[in-house]
Amino acid sequence: MVSWALASIVDAGVVLGVATMLCGLAGIGDDNADAVAFACVGAVLAALAAVARRRVAPPERPGTGRVFAGIGLLWTALVLFGTVLYAGTGSLARLDDALVESAAGFTTTSLTLLDAAEVSRSVLLFRAATSWVGGLIAVWIGVVTLPVVLRSTALIGYTTGRRGLDLVPSASTGRRRVLILYSGFTAACVIAYLLTGLGVTEALVVGLGTVSTGGFTGRADSLAGYGGATQAVAGAGMLLAGAGIFVVWWIARGRLRPLLRSQELRTYVVLLAAATAAMALHRGIGWGEAGFMAVSAMSTTGFAVVDWTAWGTATTVILLVAAGIGSMMGSAGGGMRVMRVQLLMGSAGGELRRQLDPYAVVLVRRDDETLSQRTLDRLGGHQVAYVVLVGVGALLLGVSGVSLLGSVWGSVSAVTTFGPAFGEIGAFGLLEGVDRAERLALVPLMMGGRMSVPPVLAGVGLVMNWYKAAVRRGRFSVRSASRRLEALVESRSGDG
Amino acid sequence: MASGPVPEVAPAGPSPLRDRFASTTLHILGIALAAVSVGMLACALLEAATSRRDTLALGASALVAGAAGGLLWYLTRPSAIRKRDIFATVAWTWILTTVVGALPFVLAGTFAGPGADFVEQVVNSVFESASGFSASGSTVLTDFESPGRGLMMYRQLTHWYGGMGVVVLAVAVLPFLGVGGLELITAEAPGTTSDRLTPRVSETARRLWMVYIGFTVCAAVAFFVADGFSSLYDAVAHAFTLAATGGFSVHADSIGHYDSVAVETVVIVFMVLGGTSFSLHWRAVTTGRVPYHRNSEFRSYLGVLAVASAVIVILVWLENGLPLGSAIRGAVFTVVSLGTSTGLSNATGSGSPGDYVTWVAGAQLVLLFLMVVGGCTGSTSGGIKVMRMQVLGLVMLRSVQHSQSPRAVIPIRLGRDTVSESVVSRVAGFFLLHFMLVIAGLLAVTALGGDLETSLGSVVSALGNMGPALGEAGPTSNYAVAFSQPARLVLALLMIIGRLEILPILLAVVPYVYRSKDLARVARR
Repeated sequence: MVSWALASIVDAGVVLGVATMLCGLAGIGDDNADAVAFACVGAVLAALAAVARRRVAPPERPGTGRVFAGIGLLWTALVLFGTVLYAGTGSLARLDDALVESAAGFTTTSLTLLDAAEVSRSVLLFRAATSWVGGLIAVWIGVVTLPVVLRSTALIGYTTGRRGLDLVPSASTGRRRVLILYSGFTAACVIAYLLTGLGVTEALVVGLGTVSTGGFTGRADSLAGYGGATQAVAGAGMLLAGAGIFVVWWIARGRLRPLLRSQELRTYVVLLAAATAAMALHRGIGWGEAGFMAVSAMSTTGFAVVDWTAWGTATTVILLVAAGIGSMMGSAGGGMRVMRVQLLMGSAGGELRRQLDPYAVVLVRRDDETLSQRTLDRLGGHQVAYVVLVGVGALLLGVSGVSLLGSVWGSVSAVTTFGPAFGEIGAFGLLEGVDRAERLALVPLMMGGRMSVPPVLAGVGLVMNWYKAAVRRGRFSVRSASRRLEALVESRSGDG
Repeated sequence: MASGPVPEVAPAGPSPLRDRFASTTLHILGIALAAVSVGMLACALLEAATSRRDTLALGASALVAGAAGGLLWYLTRPSAIRKRDIFATVAWTWILTTVVGALPFVLAGTFAGPGADFVEQVVNSVFESASGFSASGSTVLTDFESPGRGLMMYRQLTHWYGGMGVVVLAVAVLPFLGVGGLELITAEAPGTTSDRLTPRVSETARRLWMVYIGFTVCAAVAFFVADGFSSLYDAVAHAFTLAATGGFSVHADSIGHYDSVAVETVVIVFMVLGGTSFSLHWRAVTTGRVPYHRNSEFRSYLGVLAVASAVIVILVWLENGLPLGSAIRGAVFTVVSLGTSTGLSNATGSGSPGDYVTWVAGAQLVLLFLMVVGGCTGSTSGGIKVMRMQVLGLVMLRSVQHSQSPRAVIPIRLGRDTVSESVVSRVAGFFLLHFMLVIAGLLAVTALGGDLETSLGSVVSALGNMGPALGEAGPTSNYAVAFSQPARLVLALLMIIGRLEILPILLAVVPYVYRSKDLARVARR
């Protein structure tokens, strides 16, 4: 486990180190103390990671449990790095605040404690960069690590399946291509924002937040204060970011056929259109605002152009459901994912059919693949785990003092990495008004949601195995001790 | 869709049955309506002997239901049952019984309050009837004093009919129904499977009703004693509710009216027993042994109730600042009431210790979880059921093990039994459908004007046949205050869907969907 996790952390460390260094360099002239600190830490991290990269070789065929546990360790390491940097530079005075901000950043959840007017340019950019790195790693894991490194068809529900083969022929090529596409998409977004009249720093912050579905803008009212053109670019960017890296790849290669044939993309677009129409027709909300918020929720970005919590209950439920369904496989967004929801619906339909005809053979397909019952069962387990995570999260928030609705909404929003929520958190994802205990309760939820549950399950599995082994060892030592005691007693009685 | 028809079940040879119209759906519906009319008639007699206010309404309703039921019963005979007909039979029997069951309320003008037009009266009556037959206990009744004793007893009786199920009752009186009969019971009974107590299906149905009647008598006697022999009427009325794990009471403040620890203790005991499988009760009675502790579902059921009670006691004691005694009394009663899907309340007024909508959010979330879980399979309670939750928990644990070794073959075991994979996928499918219905219901009810907290609680409550919900539909409030007319109809439908555990209602519609798909395919060709 350690070697695989270490290799992943080293890979991520290179990217994160370079990104942190660039944030530091970009901050020179604003707050030099912060700029130097970020640049130095970033340079040291990148250098160390680059050196370590040559020495640490990941195992050829790591076990599934190791990979999942490694993913868990990787996210933990990233969040801890961010926490230390926020606390070390004094951007956030308290360690727990730094932890929440770092977790929100790397998990691409649109929640923040930072006040853009107070912090330096380096901190602002670093906050956006954490989302960007988090998004990149999420895509790497979903598109490269699970399908290629594990090569396990049993995990098909968690991965992108056959359609990933042309983008990711091998792990190293896939990782490189994804990095290029992700960076190119970011560059295009930033340029588009610049063209709408944003300053360089703002364009970078919002651009990184769009591509990664992080939703961080540095402003207290998210995108509400920006012009229509900026909001339109954000809407289009979120749509593409939520559609995932495969759609970006197909568009970049000019391949229309896979675009049109993708069942998941069709469903994604239909659901977005339905959510938009339902909100616009029901409450008379403007189509633009409704569409923007639907894309924001479904891609789990968390940008807002208006205080949607005042829109009425039905619309907030629509947004809650959209965030729950989430983005497409292969995107940086969160949620259950359109593909999984599609498969689960197919599975439920199959069950209905089997009630009428117990001997019916019901096939559930994904694009041109037919999924086995085993895979569907596993997806069912995933769904249960997801619901349990949301339930436990709501309970944690409820016990820590959040209102009933705030707990349910907050938990769904954190687990799906959306961010904003009905209740205490509000439409713009500001955590200032939320108690410390409640903020801390959000951290495991964001992490669990970002990891898409399986690594959490793997972690639980490891703990269970360790516990079982410990019990077994304990029993063995008790047995051997009793045997020794018996032998001693016998020998003494023999002596006597 | 090629489900083979079950062999013809009518007796062979010349028989007057041969000349009748062959339709199991109409035949079962006839018996169900006739049975309900008997209840209406009994309540009309009670009304005539007491207040006489609603005698005519109950008598006329009994006449209409009895005539319709009798005619359907007499003019039809059970025929070969196909799978799709089984679900349609159960679904239509429940829907039409609910509608006919609303007649006494409409005729008596129970909901004819100031400003209530005829449509509102009908909607409220259907809501009350659906809540009664589905053993939910949600109410739109605001004035508990005006209706006569007979009508109030009829309201309690709807719970009792619905608790064990009108279709089970119909099967009990049908001499020949074979395999289709068992499937009818399975389609109506809560749970994953239906225990066959005897080789003959009608005998199984009869025994289930015998246990149910015995349970009701015991509950009535215990309540009567605990209440200090003060009112036999109250005891019988609450016994109907307890046996069915319903939730209606003859008092506006439910069990809080008595403000008695003895009554609450008796009610808690019978709610727990009502949420337990009636097959276990039958075995306990017939074998003279206590089989409960050997049943893994029952152990888990008690475990859930105990843990939830402990958590809520701590939360309301520490966070709400209730005295420990009041916290224990309020929490244990509420947990058992919602955990068994009964829905009775011991709140003595708004803001009292039993008024759980004033508890901290954490405690209310635990209650929401209990509303989803419900009682044991084979009991009269609602919810997803403990056994299904056990299977889902084990499916999740299997996912944990699969994340370590994806190719491992890991069976799911409940106690000593291995659960077949078909049952596992059925449970997973059921959970998914339940989840989807909660979302669809929430969307519908909020779109019709409900506030989010109340709507969430009410949709979960309606699908789980709980009764009281959260927010404005709490134990000291009323659904008429919280929801618009269309929203109440949606909730009434959800209650019936929840009582029948989703599938019969959906499967009564699905064949038409497939048929329309086939037609579309033919048209395309």
